[in-house]
Amino acid sequence: MARMKFLCDAERCIECNGCVVACKNENHVPWGVNRRRVVVLGDGEPGEKSISVACMHCTDAPCAAVCPVDCFYTTDDGIVLHDKDLCIGCGYCFYACPFGAPQYPQQAAFGGRGKMDKCTFCAGGPEPDNSQVEFEKYGANRIAEGKLPLCAEMCATKALLAGDGDVVADIYRQRVLKRGGRPQTWGWQRAYGDKG
Amino acid sequence: MKRRDWLKAAMVMGPAGWLAGCYEKPEVMVHEPGKYKGARDPLLEKHARPEQKQRLIERFNLVQVDR
Repeated sequence: MARMKFLCDAERCIECNGCVVACKNENHVPWGVNRRRVVVLGDGEPGEKSISVACMHCTDAPCAAVCPVDCFYTTDDGIVLHDKDLCIGCGYCFYACPFGAPQYPQQAAFGGRGKMDKCTFCAGGPEPDNSQVEFEKYGANRIAEGKLPLCAEMCATKALLAGDGDVVADIYRQRVLKRGGRPQTWGWQRAYGDKG
Repeated sequence: MKRRDWLKAAMVMGPAGWLAGCYEKPEVMVHEPGKYKGARDPLLEKHARPEQKQRLIERFNLVQVDR
């Protein structure tokens, strides 16, 4: 079965942060939380690369494995989502995630983290599709509308791809064949492993 | 009511109230590890339909492919 995947083409990313802004704007992400970030590898050195990082919606999600209240679920095609009504803000998922995806709004007193927030692949959460309550808790549900994550759709250089893993892989393969060099699918092995 | 009666009443009611605070709910939520406990997402049914998957692939080809 096809899976939804993110792929950031490091050769194309120009660190414009358009994906970060698009995500913040589309989902009304609160202050202090960035569901997506652009990371520069080897900053200032010749050959530096930028990659856009968010929740990769791992095949065998480590966040779900460590959650003490089991608030994570995975859709048919591999989008990892969570229920904020169950989340206790313990932070275990943050420690488990290899991509640093889970974020906490830090709203509570005494260092309480608040409910975890992360990229939903623009698929909302366990509330009626495109309802006000879903938008307030999880952000936009573009998947229910037949659209894909805005971060990828807005990417000016088409560095960030989001969609069916097979289609994404085909596009990336064609690019590598055309420009030569080695494929650098940053984070793919870690997120999707061999089970992909 | 005399002061003595008040004291007696307080001596009876005080521990009773204190003990009532120790009451524990007998219904315990038992967690099976790895099994989702939250509300059902209506998107799951919608997302399982082949036409929805096709729609997303068409969207991808419309917006994200190289031009």
